Amino acid sequence: MTLLLGLLLVLLVGSGAFFMARDRAEGLRKAAGTGKGRLNSLPAYHGGFAFLWAAVPALLFLSIWAPLQNRLVDTAVLESPAGQQLPDFDLARDSILGEARAVATGASELAFNPAAQALVPVFEAAIGRYSLIGSIFALLLALAGAGYALTRIRPDLRARAGVERWVMALLVTASLVAILTTFGIVASLLFETMRFFSMISPGEFLFGTQWSPQIAIRADQVGASGAFGSVPLFWGTVFIGAIIAMVVAIPLGLMSAIFLTEYAPPKLRSVLKPLLEILAGVPTVVYGFFAALTIAPLVRDLGIAIGVSGASSESALAAGLVMGIMIIPFVSSMADDSIAAVPQAMRDGSLALGATRSETIRRVVLPAALPGVVGGILLAVSRAIGETMIVVMAAGLAANLTANPFESVTTVTVQIVKLLTGDQEFNSPKTLAAFALGLVLFLVTLLLNLIALRVVRKYREAYE
Amino acid sequence: MNKPASRWASEAMRKRIASRYASEKRFRALGLAAILISLGFLAFLLVSMTVRGIGGFSATFLTASDATDPELVGVWGALKGSFLTIIVTMALAFPVGVLAAVYLEEFASRNRFNDFIEVSINNLAAVPSIIFGLLGLSVFLNVLHLPRSAALVGGLTLALMTMPVIVIAGRNAIKAVPPSIRDAALGVGASRMQVVFHHVLPLALPGVLTGTIIGMARALGETAPLLMIGMRAFIASPPQGFTDPATVLPVQIFLWSDEVDRAFVEKTSAAIIVLLLFMLLMNGLAIYLRNRFEQRW
Repeated sequence: MTLLLGLLLVLLVGSGAFFMARDRAEGLRKAAGTGKGRLNSLPAYHGGFAFLWAAVPALLFLSIWAPLQNRLVDTAVLESPAGQQLPDFDLARDSILGEARAVATGASELAFNPAAQALVPVFEAAIGRYSLIGSIFALLLALAGAGYALTRIRPDLRARAGVERWVMALLVTASLVAILTTFGIVASLLFETMRFFSMISPGEFLFGTQWSPQIAIRADQVGASGAFGSVPLFWGTVFIGAIIAMVVAIPLGLMSAIFLTEYAPPKLRSVLKPLLEILAGVPTVVYGFFAALTIAPLVRDLGIAIGVSGASSESALAAGLVMGIMIIPFVSSMADDSIAAVPQAMRDGSLALGATRSETIRRVVLPAALPGVVGGILLAVSRAIGETMIVVMAAGLAANLTANPFESVTTVTVQIVKLLTGDQEFNSPKTLAAFALGLVLFLVTLLLNLIALRVVRKYREAYE
Repeated sequence: MNKPASRWASEAMRKRIASRYASEKRFRALGLAAILISLGFLAFLLVSMTVRGIGGFSATFLTASDATDPELVGVWGALKGSFLTIIVTMALAFPVGVLAAVYLEEFASRNRFNDFIEVSINNLAAVPSIIFGLLGLSVFLNVLHLPRSAALVGGLTLALMTMPVIVIAGRNAIKAVPPSIRDAALGVGASRMQVVFHHVLPLALPGVLTGTIIGMARALGETAPLLMIGMRAFIASPPQGFTDPATVLPVQIFLWSDEVDRAFVEKTSAAIIVLLLFMLLMNGLAIYLRNRFEQRW
């Protein structure tokens, strides 16, 4: 006995209402013929009208009831005689409850803990009782809705308008999901960050240069202080994402775009462009594996060969190089768009004065397309600093403040992954620090995107 | 030779023109080289993965799940987890994304509320994926208490990430349907809803589907947000349902790449080949759909 039964009942009532309403409307139509009392809407819309009135309120009720029911069941079990014998200790009690719930709902076969096994019948009874209550309520709601709709079936009922109002509500709800997601991101990041800042001061977090987020297990532990100065992380992120990756991606991406738009014959372009876009479609975990396994040893050997001190097998250069390659299609397609948007008359004017094509591109087309190209580069930077897997697998964990590309640096995203995987104690500053880092990352990428979009839009207006 | 000496024939000018043509050629070669370097890197990546991974394929590899012994590991468990996750993502992101696109493109009047929706969708499309992982962790796991490591939570998180992509693709596809179609339908007495659902949406569907498949391919290759919601546990048997602990193929690749045992390198590369094949399949399907059904007015 679960809420599934309630759901089925509601759908049954709903489809019953659909057919009854449709048949009634059909009857009205036959009775009226073509004279007075013609139907305002098609019979199927009358059916849909009745179905929506029967099903939507009941389904809304069920979707609110389902989470509520879980809480009611837990309370009921804890108040039962068997539940009151459970240990007071939260962790032990929750694990027994969880095990018993898993067996009662059929998620697992058998409970290992005898205390949990004893609770199973209590759980089953409570779930059965509350499911029955919920299902009956849902059924009553569905019947009431169906009854209301059926009494309203008349020739002049504007059933289609009624149905379309429901559909419109659905469309608005779907659009609201985007706002809810944005709101959810901001709220959850802000909330956890506030808790973090109640333990660690924002000044230390934003301007400190020591990052070692271990928390003491014993009071006398060595290096147990836990330092949360994230400057080395910000530097590592900028160094890999905005410097090394861009040194690779900007020349390659820009030259690719120039060749594709200005030189390549259309046939060659239609082959090369999709091939180049494949680079953006390769999953980042593949790039990460490739960077760690193939590129990193090469870079380390190169570093040793030219005598750089501190050449490490997890280097900023290896991660940045591969990230730059990944970013090439972004830079190239943004540059492609803005070069294509430069009016042909400007090119023709320059060529007519005797400039060669490359002179035209360098002196006329590129300066004209510059704002669009810069916008594209900003978007690429925002993409690069939010990138996670390549740096997790190839850049390392050591929070170094160094400009030596052969050394290991760490980034904001690496530390978020590091802090949140493994054992989690949810209230320690160690876990909460990940959310503070996430908030910084979110704000910076947001800012970069807003600036980039504004630059690109301004530039488009200039040529329209 | 008593031709008048043209200034074009002078030695200095000839040199100058030759150097300008040479620089023209250099520039062009530079452009070609940039593309060839990028594509060469891609080829290097694909070939090295294939060479490393091809020996890792066996019947066990395709039917087994994770194990501690590299000889006994397989991708089936992770693959099944990926399928379950993608099903959840698809079931949520596709309807919501298409309906939101319809609303924004066909019904939304310009006001503050609708502008805000539009700005949030455009921003969500550019938010780093790991942020969605943080959202999933704090909302789905810590507030709603959904099961950890489950395909359900992974799918929900990826759906939030994919939805903006589908909305943007959907809006472009809807925008491309010419107004004459709408005018004709309105002219014979259809309501605005009927215009959209009987005429505009069917015509825009190939474009919408192309965008959806590309979004799904991105979700299939995503790793970071799923690490955040705990889909990184050692899972030795394939998940039986949406709420079972599961892992997905990219996360499995990440976990194997961390193993010290050298034999895992071959298995990781083999798993990468499987993942890339699926990406290729999905993108190929998207291109096929676009070429087969795309209509130009």
